[in-house]
Amino acid sequence: MLRQLTWLALLLIPFLAAPCLADEEAEDAKESRWRLGAALGYGIRSNPLVQSDDIPIVVDLDIAWFGERFFFDNGDLGLTFADNNTFTASVVARINSDRVFFGNTDTRFVDFDLAGLPLVAAVDFKPPDRDYAIELGVEVLTDGDWGALQFNAFHDVSGTHEGFELYADYSYGWRAQRLYIEPSFGASFKSADLNNYYWGVTPEEAGLVAFPYEADAGVNWHVRLMFGYQLSRHWAFSLVAEYERLNDEATASPIIEEQKVLGYFTGFAYRF
Amino acid sequence: MRLLITLALLLPALSMSEAAAAEDMTLTVKPVLCITDNLTPSCDMSFLVVWQSALTGYYCLFTDFDDAPVHCWNEERTGRLSDERTVRKNFSYWMTDQDQISRLAVATVEVLRMDSDDRRRKRRTRHVWDLN
Repeated sequence: MLRQLTWLALLLIPFLAAPCLADEEAEDAKESRWRLGAALGYGIRSNPLVQSDDIPIVVDLDIAWFGERFFFDNGDLGLTFADNNTFTASVVARINSDRVFFGNTDTRFVDFDLAGLPLVAAVDFKPPDRDYAIELGVEVLTDGDWGALQFNAFHDVSGTHEGFELYADYSYGWRAQRLYIEPSFGASFKSADLNNYYWGVTPEEAGLVAFPYEADAGVNWHVRLMFGYQLSRHWAFSLVAEYERLNDEATASPIIEEQKVLGYFTGFAYRF
Repeated sequence: MRLLITLALLLPALSMSEAAAAEDMTLTVKPVLCITDNLTPSCDMSFLVVWQSALTGYYCLFTDFDDAPVHCWNEERTGRLSDERTVRKNFSYWMTDQDQISRLAVATVEVLRMDSDDRRRKRRTRHVWDLN
């Protein structure tokens, strides 16, 4: 019942927002409510799963709309309930990002078992599939001369993993006219339910080459460095590199072979 | 009568040379982009202004900031100037001839504000990639 009500609430958000959007559009003509952009270049995000391919990044689209209360930011839907000189707080609905790794897996024939001993006949093995989860949570943003902080607390509302995530990120940007450098770092706590859904292996999924595994809660860490150079009003050159260390509980899973997720992208971004 | 005919022949030629001056005047300004943010809300910059004309003459450089010319050159066909300014919004430099009315060439400096008062525009999303 709770699940159905949550879905109903998510479906109703755009309709509830519509009258507010009309009012908001007339208010501020200075800064466009839209943020539209596209980046073309090359990059990858490594895939920590066994028998998987890295995720190539060639195009990055940026589609966002920010009203006084409601906003849409590249798939995230938000309702801002507090905004003052100190912080901005919103309720946000989003799609969980852990699922992305499961879209780039391969079936391979394996001829050794869990102990590394040869099998009589090769068996096919593919990392198990996982679903996208819709999560609802609270986001708090604060900033100052000291930098910017972001806190998120999200809970699954789609009945997919039924867990939660707490996320914090700190960033500080330096600008020297066209040049912009922004390092950031942070952590995210993944609950046992969330961790186990994505990185656990059920007895049904286990076989000769993967043992059943139950993951507990854990903390992922990340650092990121962004370098940007503004070429003109619309064009910028961007270079971004990111390192994420998965929690030990996830790394111990038989479907994980790398504890780190590395990513980079370099290219030219156009902002409309 | 001969004088009138001479004048009649010279006037179109004079106006043609003015038009030619307008067409052949080039004005370049560097830099043409100034970037501001919340920590640096204005640009303190030195703008290098260079102009060149096909015809030698009396030319003046103006900006949006003042009714009086920044500088005038007499009997010149090229000129350069370094102009120190603190700017917060877009503005233009332009060249005029002696009448100081018609703009022979215009160059615009754009001021681009990178930060927003809306914190949500800087929020980090957790997508495959995120350039925000």
